[in-house]
Amino acid sequence: MIQFKALLSKELKEAFRDKRAMMMAMTMAVMAPVMIFAMSKVMIKEAVETPAIYFKISGAEYAPKLINALKDENILLFKDVPSNKRAIWDERNLTLTIPETFNENMLDGKPIELYLSADYSDKANLSPVRRIKNTIMHYARAIGYKRLLVRGIDVRLLQVVKIIEQDTSLPNSNAMIISMMLGLYVLMAAFMSGLPVAIDTSAGERERNVLEMLLCQPVSTVKIVSAKLCCASLIACIGVLLTLSLTTFSVGFIDLTKIGASFSLDAFTISALILLLLPICFFASALQLFVAFQSKNFKEAQSMVSMIIMLPAMVPVVMMFVDDKPKWLDWLPISGQSLIMEDLFKGLPVSWALIGFTSLVTISMTIILVLLMAKKLRSETVVLALS
Amino acid sequence: MIEVNNLCKSFGGAKKSLFKKKESPVIALDGLSFTANDGEITGILGPNGAGKTTCLRTLYGLLKADGGSATIDGINVVDNPLAARARLGIFPDKFGLYERLTAYEQIDYFASIHGLTGNAKHQAIEAVINDLDMTELAHRKTLGFSQGQRMKVTLAQALVHQPKNFVLDEPTRGLDVMSTRVLRNYLARFKEKGHCILFSSHVMQEVAALCDRVIIVANGKLAAQGTPKELCELAGEVQLEEAFVKIIGSDEGVAA
Repeated sequence: MIQFKALLSKELKEAFRDKRAMMMAMTMAVMAPVMIFAMSKVMIKEAVETPAIYFKISGAEYAPKLINALKDENILLFKDVPSNKRAIWDERNLTLTIPETFNENMLDGKPIELYLSADYSDKANLSPVRRIKNTIMHYARAIGYKRLLVRGIDVRLLQVVKIIEQDTSLPNSNAMIISMMLGLYVLMAAFMSGLPVAIDTSAGERERNVLEMLLCQPVSTVKIVSAKLCCASLIACIGVLLTLSLTTFSVGFIDLTKIGASFSLDAFTISALILLLLPICFFASALQLFVAFQSKNFKEAQSMVSMIIMLPAMVPVVMMFVDDKPKWLDWLPISGQSLIMEDLFKGLPVSWALIGFTSLVTISMTIILVLLMAKKLRSETVVLALS
Repeated sequence: MIEVNNLCKSFGGAKKSLFKKKESPVIALDGLSFTANDGEITGILGPNGAGKTTCLRTLYGLLKADGGSATIDGINVVDNPLAARARLGIFPDKFGLYERLTAYEQIDYFASIHGLTGNAKHQAIEAVINDLDMTELAHRKTLGFSQGQRMKVTLAQALVHQPKNFVLDEPTRGLDVMSTRVLRNYLARFKEKGHCILFSSHVMQEVAALCDRVIIVANGKLAAQGTPKELCELAGEVQLEEAFVKIIGSDEGVAA
């Protein structure tokens, strides 16, 4: 116990005196509110406003009422485009062609063919095209209903089956993207914050020849590894807690009601999050230490460990594409946590048993890593970085 | 007491990989045996690459020998490494310092690892700092220490728990004359108290002046051993340096 205390206090002293590492560790946390704030601003703007669309048209004179209907939806003619936006809309090249026979066919009740041409693969065109289509459909349907009405036909005859949709997602779900981002971000923070310390304490110490000296002392390698792990994961925990608290603080400044979303980090959510993330901090640091000890020098350790950071970024993204998630994904570290966090942010009920089980799996994997490292440190190849 | 019995160690060549051709292994130790007794200072001499450091590293358990055994006070270093190391004070060939800690904190760290606590620890640290004449350095961070100052810190952390056996790998390189003298007196004092001291060196005068027994290692084998005087007589020279060169140079005749 004396030994462990000495080891840990030395690790902490070194870590907290390393100003650069600490700064790097805390950047993630400080960046969080800034990012959340900026992203939500942009998203709210996109969701709420219907910015002006300018489209090119030929045959406008044949259908003035349609043009007016479009104008009501802020969809305007290309000739009215302000000069500073001219180039953009010219390039997007949304073109609507109204045939000469528009009026004639309208009177005869024949189908009218309008041509809408645009580059559908361009993401920037998606929303304008959708809006133009919706407006024209609405316009056409209104006329169609009137035609039936004047013939004495109930328009409800057209509705053979009516689907009544019941969205079971809670109002919170609209803030999905923000919460997805936050989930990803805190996972990243757990991996990033402890990173500089983890590398420095393993590969760094070996390169500075102090690890060798320590390993000659009468102290078990399990103690050495656990002291290093405790130190690195403590820093990671601080980073995660700081991220969470700053985010809670900054979300208060964003008016999400505009997009009909509510997003709150209440006491329950926060405590569940902390319970989820603390084991991940330990797991992340253990993984980083393991890889750093495995690599031959400091540089290799840095690049290898950076690859580990891809894990929390990739796993949740990959899981978005898996529709039928197998059950074991709930239990594995990272994937389990990110799934539970998703439910948590959606406001769905989360079972404490599942949280507990996932944490248990994560912690036991951490312990396995520690024991593996302890074993590695007893072998001369790892200690002296022989190939 | 440190005993080394028929120690063998080779590097490389053991593994055959898909991409590399099998390299011929480097044989660092080839059946080295010697004993360093309590109450004596034993010096290890040998040309570069003779296997001195490999032998010492095997003693503190950093390397595992391919064959043979090493014991410290009768404890086998492979079977019970922690107990064996607890009886050792180590000054390794490669050493670094925790540059964000002060010298005092660093010595404190190693003292705690050896299980010292409270007042006893404090006194032990103060004593070693005074003995090595480094009071001025004690509360400075070790970043930027000169070679000699670094050596002193490392020595202090090796000696703070007053181990029964010392293993010092070239402890005087980089030390100034005063510090070398301090160290010599220090070692002599521990010898009087009955400690076992094993150190390697390249400085012949030092070995001649300090050592009760000298072990000469060449090509991973014991080339000769005895008091400095005996070695001189064996080689038929007056100076230890000449004797050393002769013993190393002609392994026929003399060493047999």
